[in-house]
Amino acid sequence: MLSAALPTSTAFVREHLRAPLTLVLLVAIPAFFVLIFASVLGEFAKALGGTLASQSATAISAGWAAAFLSGTLAFFQVSSSRGADRRLAAAGLGPVRVAVSRIVAALAIGLTVSAVAFLTLWLRSGIGHPLHAAVAIFTFAAIYIGIGALIGAFVKGQLEGSLLVILVFSVDAFSGPQMTSNGFVSVTPTRNAANLLIAAGGGQGSPGGDWIGSLAVALGALAVALAAFWFSARTRA
Amino acid sequence: MAAREEIPGRVSAKANAERSQSSEAPVLAARGVEKSFHRGIWPLRRKIEVLKGATLEVRPGELVGLVGENGSGKSTLMQIIVGLLKRDAGEVDRPDRLGYCPQLPMVWEKLTVDEHFELYGRAYGMADADREQAVVGLLDELQFAKYRTYRIEELSGGTRQKLNLALSLMHEPELLLLDEPYSGFDWETYLRFWEMSERRRDAGMGILIVSHLLAERDRLDRMYELCEGRICTC
Repeated sequence: MLSAALPTSTAFVREHLRAPLTLVLLVAIPAFFVLIFASVLGEFAKALGGTLASQSATAISAGWAAAFLSGTLAFFQVSSSRGADRRLAAAGLGPVRVAVSRIVAALAIGLTVSAVAFLTLWLRSGIGHPLHAAVAIFTFAAIYIGIGALIGAFVKGQLEGSLLVILVFSVDAFSGPQMTSNGFVSVTPTRNAANLLIAAGGGQGSPGGDWIGSLAVALGALAVALAAFWFSARTRA
Repeated sequence: MAAREEIPGRVSAKANAERSQSSEAPVLAARGVEKSFHRGIWPLRRKIEVLKGATLEVRPGELVGLVGENGSGKSTLMQIIVGLLKRDAGEVDRPDRLGYCPQLPMVWEKLTVDEHFELYGRAYGMADADREQAVVGLLDELQFAKYRTYRIEELSGGTRQKLNLALSLMHEPELLLLDEPYSGFDWETYLRFWEMSERRRDAGMGILIVSHLLAERDRLDRMYELCEGRICTC
């Protein structure tokens, strides 16, 4: 299945990376998040009574960059190609193979985005635990592939859908760990991954619970993404 | 209409209409197809009935027209036959190997013409050599070979429509469904389109074409008209 889907996935990745503005944003957004958004996040946490330290805010902002880019690109993968994907599925490729091709493409883009975010963080501040940080950043990307694809499958308007992705992202980012004194939103999709990244940025290890939690949420998000891609490409023959 | 007479090898619609009376099993049979759409949110939600039991047949070697006013459900019926829309009621029997040319090209803007042929060749299960042979023939017939490496966003509306048509034809389907396939074509291409369709019809392909133009009626073997969700003329 995967080998059959690979040439189609490659075409889907090319489709996204051929937009010059997307390529510019792939570099500009991680730089913006790590250099500017991190200090905003730190100030915001201080105002809300949170304890997010400057170094932690810098580390976590690389995760948010990967999340933001992966989420919006996954949303537009569904939203801008719905008709073409369904026609291809109806032509004989089938919705399952289209969905597998889409998720492979989304993961490849997520990996690229995560690598750029990781590199930006490395250049900005260095990383205590680089391997942990890399896994945590990719986990952010994987979770937002699920969120972006899910919104793309159910919200047809591109403006409404992209605004919804940003809303989910904003709620998630500003209610993460160490952001508030009372933790008013204690269950957010990236909470465990954020804990991993904050710890890795400070050169600390993380408890097994955060690893298991972030793995479970990332796998769940990818399953949701696969279902969303299938839903968008499904045929009714 | 005079230009039509210039097409070489054209078989008369009447001759084909006689052939279509044969007892050959239909390549497409849609019976009692019903479809409604729900629009708006509760309590303002309303039901729009588009198809109320549409029935039609296409036999191998027939060029059949489907006409009707705007919003009469022609494209909806096509999409139900293809499998892009779910029907509320009724039956559709159609072959697995069908070609569908939608009204608006459903393509990827950033991919090239060749990349589209590769993707569709794979979807149709064609070997690389067979795909290349089919593609070369279609590029020649529709005269857009020089655009093979162009991205879709770089093509004119007419050339996009040529690709849209070529994608539905490259595997020589048993049944070809065309939803106003010539929008954007210049006159030469329009005439070539009918020549291509008639040649394939003569080779045994069943073709159902959504048409608006009265001038085309003479080219068709038979014609269905959709009125208020039902076939009213046959």
